Amino acid sequence: MLFTLAWRNIWRNYRRSVLVLLSVVIGLIAIILYDSLSIGMIQQMLDNQIGAHVSHIQVHKKGFNDNPVIQNYLPDPARVRQLLAQQKGVAHFSERVITFGIVSSATGASGVSMVGIYPQQEVQITKIKNSLVEGRYLGDAPHEIVIGRKLAEKLDVGLGDKVVAMASALSGAIGSDVFRVVGIYETFSSEFDKSHAYVYLPNLQQMLEFESQISEFAVILGNLERQNEVQAALVQELGSGYEVLTYKQLLPLLVMQVDVYKETIFIFYAIIGIAMMFGIINTMLMSVFERIHEFGVLMAVGMKNRRLFVMILLEAFLLGISGTVIGAVIGYLIYLPLADSGINLSAFADGLNSIGSGSVIYPILTPESIVSAIFVIPAIAVLGAIYPALRAARLDPITAIRHV
Amino acid sequence: MGIVQTIDLEKTYQDNGVPVHALRGINLTIEKGEFTVIAGPSGSGKTTLLNLIGALDKPTKGRVLLEDTDISGLKRDALGELRLHKIGFVFQAYNLIPVLSAMENIEFTMMLSGIAEKERHRRVREVMQELGIEALAGKRPNEMSGGQQQRVAVARAIVNNPTLVLADEPTANLDTDTGAELLNLMETMNREHNITFIFSSHDPQVIERARRLLILKDGMIAEERS
Ligand SMILES: Nc1ncnc2c1ncn2[C@@H]1O[C@H](COP(=O)(O)OP(=O)(O)OP(=O)(O)O)[C@@H](O)[C@H]1O
Ligand SMILES: [Mg+2]
Repeated sequence: MLFTLAWRNIWRNYRRSVLVLLSVVIGLIAIILYDSLSIGMIQQMLDNQIGAHVSHIQVHKKGFNDNPVIQNYLPDPARVRQLLAQQKGVAHFSERVITFGIVSSATGASGVSMVGIYPQQEVQITKIKNSLVEGRYLGDAPHEIVIGRKLAEKLDVGLGDKVVAMASALSGAIGSDVFRVVGIYETFSSEFDKSHAYVYLPNLQQMLEFESQISEFAVILGNLERQNEVQAALVQELGSGYEVLTYKQLLPLLVMQVDVYKETIFIFYAIIGIAMMFGIINTMLMSVFERIHEFGVLMAVGMKNRRLFVMILLEAFLLGISGTVIGAVIGYLIYLPLADSGINLSAFADGLNSIGSGSVIYPILTPESIVSAIFVIPAIAVLGAIYPALRAARLDPITAIRHV
Repeated sequence: MGIVQTIDLEKTYQDNGVPVHALRGINLTIEKGEFTVIAGPSGSGKTTLLNLIGALDKPTKGRVLLEDTDISGLKRDALGELRLHKIGFVFQAYNLIPVLSAMENIEFTMMLSGIAEKERHRRVREVMQELGIEALAGKRPNEMSGGQQQRVAVARAIVNNPTLVLADEPTANLDTDTGAELLNLMETMNREHNITFIFSSHDPQVIERARRLLILKDGMIAEERS
């Protein structure tokens, strides 16, 4: 009966309640969209980095990450290879030879990171193959090179054209080779496209005077949640001559950005929450002041102040939960098609490219976001009702009854 | 002994620092089954006296005994509990909760005292039938006339079988005929169920019907008639 009473009380002042409800609904929709868009963006930033090159875990000789010179090759790649093949949680891995080099054409030259790969291994790790816009991926053959669109433009080369690559070899001499462009790719980031060129691993080994040396193993896990576990296992096995780094350690800047992002989401939540709270405080105060006589009667006939207090909190709670349910449904209905088609933010694409998310964002609504909204908003409503409810509960029946 | 007894009852309000002596020493005993009217000019202390008897307020001096219990020293919650179980109230107007139907309004105090829904409904129907207000069951207060609302208020006041029903100018907002009907109703309840009623009123027709009349002046009992 208290519930019925509270529910009907809400609808006494229809317009006022609809306004509060509307503010909750709009707030919730804003939260859902902002949250899902932000999470989508963060996820895309990470996925792009992971999928273009970084992978989940990398294994190097100790110090390679800080100083990626060719001399820092892995002490015993065969051991790492065997270990990764056995390690639980590792889905795929790819071995790489990496060096800084200069790629030049008839018209220009550009410094790039040259990555020697086994194509069949690398396709399991990165999305470069899927990002091809012209030509094909590397085959298991020497003298082929896949470069980014931006680099192709800069060097003014197209499919089938030849480029010369140079890099300093182990002995200190300059190693060089001629490659034919077989594929041109384009990823989320022109910066990345300008600076990464892929060749057949044995070819690069030869150019650098390597024998079977490998610079890095890139690892993809079956379940990303297990990264720390897998990392710990590998560190223990490999010992101190190696470094085993997760993508979070490999992308500290991005991880920092993600944190900053999460904080801005939190600030956004807080602003919306505070606005809602004041809306509720205001509404409930008005509704309490309008009902002083009635509260007097309720107390006179024996309703305890505590119960009156609870009734007003219940009213706010019902308002909050109604708004939340409506807002969540509408927000979800808006979100669904957007999650499917993505939101094209090419108007701001320059900014987005520099943070590496790409210009079409696919919002991601996590169950956590929905659940926390469903708990937090009614809680905010109840919090906002505490002061008005206290005002009501502190009334003394006689003064209240005399109030008309 | 009486079901209500006041002993040297005094109430002094502070009106912006100026003491207002609303009651100055009331000694009064009400017996079970009485039908008592407290009359007197405006400001003589009628409402104040009813509020003190009804455990809505605390005296400045003196005591109120309700069925031999001194209620002057009770805490807020205990007073609420006492009102819920022992006292029925009918105020001058706006007695009812606007969002509840007549039936729900009557049911409300039983809900507060934790009576099961089935029993509540049975009892509400019984009382409504007795007061001849079954037709109002589903109506909200704004769909009822003033007289109908007061009848529903009477039903609510008696539904918990209180020791005492206090009615502060229950007919003040009603026309003469409607007021008379309401009084008939309360007289019947008084006669048939031996419910004790205490009224305050200026209304001559209420005073006329009083079986015991107390006239207050300046916070004191100036005259008593039976
Ligand atoms: N809360 C209060 N604060 C200050 N003075 C009060 C308060 N309540 C009543 N009084 C004063 O106490 C005196 C008695 O008031 P009370 O309401 O009991 O009179 P009453 O006989 O019921 O009058 P009426 O016939 O007008 O209802 C009056 O002078 C009134 O102004
Ligand atoms: Mg009065």
